[in-house]
Amino acid sequence: MRDDNTKTDDAVIAVEDLHLSFGESKVLKGLDLTVGRGDVVALIGSSGSGKTTLLRCLNLLAHPNHGRISLNGEPFFQHDSGKDVLKLSSAKTNAIRSHIGMVFQQFNLFPHMTVLANVMEGPRTVKKEAEKTNRDRAMSLLEKVGMAEYADRRPDNLSGGQKQRVSIARALNMEPEVMLFDEPTSALDPELVGEVLNTMIDLAKEGMTMIVVTHELGFALEVAKRTVFLDQGTICAEGAPHEILMNPPNDRVKGFVNRFHQTAQLMKPFVS
Amino acid sequence: MFDWSVIEQNSHLLLMGLWITIKYTVITSALGLAIGLIVALMQLTSARVTVLVGRLFVEFFRNIPLLVWLLWAYYALPIFMGINISKESAGILALSLYGAAYFAEIFRAGIQSIDPGQSDAAVALGMSYRQKLTRIILPQALRRMIPPLAGQMIIQLKNTTLLSVITVPDLLYQADYIASFTYRPLETYTAVAVIFLIVLVPLTYIARRLEDKGPR
Ligand SMILES: Nc1ncnc2c1ncn2[C@@H]1O[C@H](COP(=O)(O)OP(=O)(O)OP(=O)(O)O)[C@@H](O)[C@H]1O
Ligand SMILES: [Mg+2]
Repeated sequence: MRDDNTKTDDAVIAVEDLHLSFGESKVLKGLDLTVGRGDVVALIGSSGSGKTTLLRCLNLLAHPNHGRISLNGEPFFQHDSGKDVLKLSSAKTNAIRSHIGMVFQQFNLFPHMTVLANVMEGPRTVKKEAEKTNRDRAMSLLEKVGMAEYADRRPDNLSGGQKQRVSIARALNMEPEVMLFDEPTSALDPELVGEVLNTMIDLAKEGMTMIVVTHELGFALEVAKRTVFLDQGTICAEGAPHEILMNPPNDRVKGFVNRFHQTAQLMKPFVS
Repeated sequence: MFDWSVIEQNSHLLLMGLWITIKYTVITSALGLAIGLIVALMQLTSARVTVLVGRLFVEFFRNIPLLVWLLWAYYALPIFMGINISKESAGILALSLYGAAYFAEIFRAGIQSIDPGQSDAAVALGMSYRQKLTRIILPQALRRMIPPLAGQMIIQLKNTTLLSVITVPDLLYQADYIASFTYRPLETYTAVAVIFLIVLVPLTYIARRLEDKGPR
């Protein structure tokens, strides 16, 4: 159960001085980020700025070379210039991951399982949870994302928007402390974006802690509590969405935001 | 001119031979599959030495003629290791390892053909390597691998005929034996060819059907 008198500044996720290189190329160059309980953080930035990489570091799908990452004040990753300080066992690492939900751009549903089995798979295999508890919660989550009637279908028969809603339910069924979204609507046809965003908005309203990589500046503006702008592996602006997006604090952000405004302007005659 | 009665009179020998052939195919395929899976997984780790050992295993067996390897395992290996192994053990060892190299390639290609996003999703849920493999990756990969695996088992069955050179009494060995005392090689070897065709044609047909259905 979530603490109701929300102390918003007690950090669920804390990142300190994160560095990551792929071979010679430095992708993350000293990032600091704190995400409080119930925070909704929109992570924006141009292509290649390191948004996906940062998100993958948060549940150790990618391994940074240096820095520290904590969950609820408890460090689970700490490398000092490549040297592993904590030496966490792989069992412990997996346990940490099970508290962090992740939603991928390409959904990554398991095609050999039904929708319901997809949602039940995490608790079943990782937590060895009792079948009935798992099934009941999975069904209510599918209900919540509007996919209950598709429970017995295979994922390949679903639309992109439906797949993404199932994948959100799959992540939620692990009862995570925080949800990571990597461009959850970028692979969708425009008319399907809304249904996924609505699901995410509901989640934000319920107080879920969320970090969302997105190109939907509207979502950042309306739903996010904080916008973090990533540029070439560093955070170059951070703050309330309307401040960052309406009054860009520097040229980098200005250029990025203007491109979106321009596209919006160009589109205007067609959407009216 | 033809005297097919020699086949009838010696049918028990041929049946015994067929039984040995099938038995060796099943045993060496099962062992080959198990070893092959391990060798494939070795090549998919991030530890360089392990990858190299797996690679060397595969390349060794893919580049040595089976007959040479079989004779080496039977005649040279016991001297080399200072142990005594029976022709049966030598045959099983040689065919299993040889098959394993080919099975390993099928497993490796099958596992690598699965979208890395599947692995990401499994890991992100908190699954261990073993859970990821048994619950997510292998069930999908196996479906794609069934046709090539079936094909390799057919080759494995044909390869067992080489066992006759180390005097394991398989179908071909029995044929040699029958031909030697009946002086009827034409009838005998024709019968053996027909028996192989009767066993293999349906298997090949099934393998082809699996292939035509395509990966799902
Ligand atoms: N596995 C990898 N190996 C090598 N380089 C990588 C790898 N993953 C990402 N990169 C590089 O790291 C940089 C950051 O990539 P990342 O995917 O994090 O960017 P992004 O901000 O998510 O971009 P996009 O908006 O296009 O998704 C890019 O230059 C990319 O080419
Ligand atoms: Mg990305």
